[in-house]
Amino acid sequence: MISYEFLTTQKIEEALNYLDKFSKVHILAGGTDLLVNLYKESPRLPDFDYLLDISNIPELKIINSINKFIEIGPLVTHSRLINEPLIKNNFPVLMEAAYTIGSTQIRNRGTIGGNIVNASPAADLLPPLIALRAEVELTSRKGKRVLPLEEFLAGPYKTKLQANELLTKIKIPLLSDNYYTDFQKIGRRKALSIARLSLALVTKIDEEGIFQDTRVVPGSATPYPQSLPVTEEAINGISIFQINLEEIGKITSNEMVSITGERWSTPYKKPTIAVLIKRALERIIKEAKTNE
Amino acid sequence: MSKVTVTFIVNGKEVTLKVGPKERLIDTLREQLKLTGTKEGCGIGECGACTVILDGKAVSSCLILTGQIGGSEVLTIEGLEVDGKLDSLQKAFIDCHAIQCGFCTPGMLMSAKALLIHNPHPNREEIKTALEGNLCRCTGYEQIIEAIESVAK
Ligand SMILES: Cc1cc2nc3c(=O)[nH]c(=O)nc-3n(C[C@H](O)[C@H](O)[C@H](O)COP(=O)(O)OP(=O)(O)OC[C@H]3O[C@@H](n4cnc5c(N)ncnc54)[C@H](O)[C@@H]3O)c2cc1C
Ligand code: FES
Ligand code: FES
Repeated sequence: MISYEFLTTQKIEEALNYLDKFSKVHILAGGTDLLVNLYKESPRLPDFDYLLDISNIPELKIINSINKFIEIGPLVTHSRLINEPLIKNNFPVLMEAAYTIGSTQIRNRGTIGGNIVNASPAADLLPPLIALRAEVELTSRKGKRVLPLEEFLAGPYKTKLQANELLTKIKIPLLSDNYYTDFQKIGRRKALSIARLSLALVTKIDEEGIFQDTRVVPGSATPYPQSLPVTEEAINGISIFQINLEEIGKITSNEMVSITGERWSTPYKKPTIAVLIKRALERIIKEAKTNE
Repeated sequence: MSKVTVTFIVNGKEVTLKVGPKERLIDTLREQLKLTGTKEGCGIGECGACTVILDGKAVSSCLILTGQIGGSEVLTIEGLEVDGKLDSLQKAFIDCHAIQCGFCTPGMLMSAKALLIHNPHPNREEIKTALEGNLCRCTGYEQIIEAIESVAK
């Protein structure tokens, strides 16, 4: 039987004090991952004595534009990501990913912070956030630290969050002109894991039509979301008029398999990831050509 | 495990209750407040039978601890009927034969109500998106969508 004391607060300071004062505290935000794990008494739940509800801290719900960054509070829900003009206008790739999550009820309650800290291999916001070079701000009584999101993730369902820390901000650098983004996803979360795959693409296309600063991050493809540097390098420097999509597809497939090794799902996922990168590139190339 | 005291509004009435640390909103509604119109199906956010409206938004009451909702406003299926008169959505569900066993109906109605609060004239796609999280084993959904469309026109 899981048993714990319930704590709740409306202030970051007080939440940090609880995290400092007590050991074995588990944080509760929208609850859409945690309450499922509690209901199932999932072995993935760590042992804890206190449940700290942070869902009513107003400061953690803010979305702001500050010094070439958009800062997103961890309690911003998927529904808000979809409807917030700052997100829609600057990071449509994040909005598209949020739109594919669960159902209306889940999007109304599930938060960006929970999606990040839960660190599921299939977490839909992670590929676009990594591709956008998002950073996370972690706060404890002792101070703040900021890490690139990709570095914060430490494995499937694992992050570098310390026991006394709260995720307090997600910071995304604004993209300059000439950047294009796309999100592709097939399969629902509840589909067999084999039928799930997603991919976020962020890239710059310069005046000559040459790809630069390309970021490719698949979801549900690797043990946890991470970028594909070989694929990114293969795309950089090529012209949108000359790119060989078949070849890029093969490079992406091979890079994925080089990370995961051959698995039972490889015969399905290998060709499918190639389709996703091709679709994403096609959509971006088409958009770039109409913008010319 | 000590209880916590929470005050919130249910169907327009303020209530102050002592709730256990593991008590979910669905438990409080059904067991403490005897509002048994809200149903529990899966208990893990998949079926939508437990849908209520929390501060204007459709949510799964099986995925919320009651201790989290102090100061909030909850609308359940019991709150749709006003002064003995059914809500137009409820009437439409009856008229369009959108109910068979009825287990999914309270959740369906609350998802539909939340949609109409924000978007009084949704199109078919928007109706389907609003009902994505509500499963029905009986009707095949068509009559439910028709019922909502008849109110949304
Ligand atoms: C039916 C259903 C469908 C779903 N579909 C999808 C889907 O399609 N795609 C998808 O990606 N996800 C899906 N999810 C999972 C879930 O909705 C998301 O991951 C959601 O974003 C989690 O956020 P939350 O606020 O509900 O997290 P919670 O459950 O509250 O917390 C999750 C974890 O994060 C920690 N945490 C939360 N906030 C903080 C913080 N600020 N600082 C430190 N730690 C924190 C908690 O301690 C906990 O370990 C689904 C869930 C359900 C029930
Ligand atoms: S009982 Fe809550 S969604 Fe199924
Ligand atoms: S009417 Fe029976 S589940 Fe919908």
